[in-house]
Amino acid sequence: MNIQFKKGVLELCVLSMLFKKDCYGYELVNEISKNILISEGTIYPLLKRLKDEGYFTTYLEESQEGPPRKYYKLTDLGASTKVELEKEWFSFVEGVNKIVKEANERE
Amino acid sequence: MNKHEFLTTLKNNLASMPEAEKGEILYDYEEHFRIGQEDGKSEEEIAASLGDPRFIARQFKADFSINQAATNTSAGNIFKAVLATVGLGFFNLVFVFGPFMGLVGALIVFFAAALGVTVGGLGTLLVVFLAPAFPDFIAMDVSPVVAVFMSIGTTCLGLLMFIGCCYLAKFFYKGTVKYLKWNMDIITRK
Repeated sequence: MNIQFKKGVLELCVLSMLFKKDCYGYELVNEISKNILISEGTIYPLLKRLKDEGYFTTYLEESQEGPPRKYYKLTDLGASTKVELEKEWFSFVEGVNKIVKEANERE
Repeated sequence: MNKHEFLTTLKNNLASMPEAEKGEILYDYEEHFRIGQEDGKSEEEIAASLGDPRFIARQFKADFSINQAATNTSAGNIFKAVLATVGLGFFNLVFVFGPFMGLVGALIVFFAAALGVTVGGLGTLLVVFLAPAFPDFIAMDVSPVVAVFMSIGTTCLGLLMFIGCCYLAKFFYKGTVKYLKWNMDIITRK
C-alpha cells in the first residue's frame, strides 16, 4: 500500500477524535490504524507537528491501570480548523461520488 | 524487534536533536509500548505496527529542521531543512532538491549580475579620475561630466538590482519553508 494521503485527511481524523473528547496517544493511533492502513509510528510525528502549530495542548493524567498518560486536548484554533477541514472533506467526497456515480449510470 | 531495540534505534537516530525534544518523543513511544502491552499485545507486535524507527526518526528530524529554518533565518538552516526532507524518500529528491538547487543557482546568477553592474558603474568613475593621469593608456570618447553621470546611474542601477535580489532571496526562503511544511503533510504514507 503506497497511498499519498491528501493533505489534511489524517489531520482531520485526529482533530475529529479530539473534538469529541480528549484522548491519549495510543487511543488516537489505535483508532486511526484500525480504519486506515498506515504505519502507526508516523502518527506521532503528525501529533507533534499539530501540537507545535497550536491545534492542541497536552496534559498528564493518572490512569487506573498504572502510570499517568499523556492526553491531547483541542484548542479553539484546533476546533475551528476541524470544522473547516470537515467542510472541505465532505464537499470533496461529494464531488468524487457524483463523478463516479454519473460515470456508472452512463454504462 | 522488541521494545528495547525499537527505542534504542529511535534514540540513536534522533541523536542530532536537542535533549528536551528527544525526551518527549521517546516518552511518547514508551507510553505507546506500555499501553499496548496492557492491551495484551506483545512487544514485537507493537514494534511491527509502529514501523521502521529509522524512518520515524527521519520524520521528526525533518519537522525539526523545517521549524528551525522557519524561526532562525540562515542559509545553513534552509539547506539542512531541504536535505532532511530529501532523506524521506526519492520523491523529495526529485521534487524538492532539484527545484531548490535550480532556484539557488538562479539567485546566485542574479546576485552576480547585480554585483557586476555595480562594479561596472564604480569602474567608470575610477576611469574618469584616472584618465587625465594616464592619457597614453585610457582614451575617453565621452566628456568626463557625461561619464560621471553614467557612472552614478549604472552604480545606482546595480544597487537597486542588489536590493531586488535581497527581496527575492527573502521571498524564496519563505516560500521554501512553506513548501517543505506542505510537503511534509502529503508524504505521510505507509
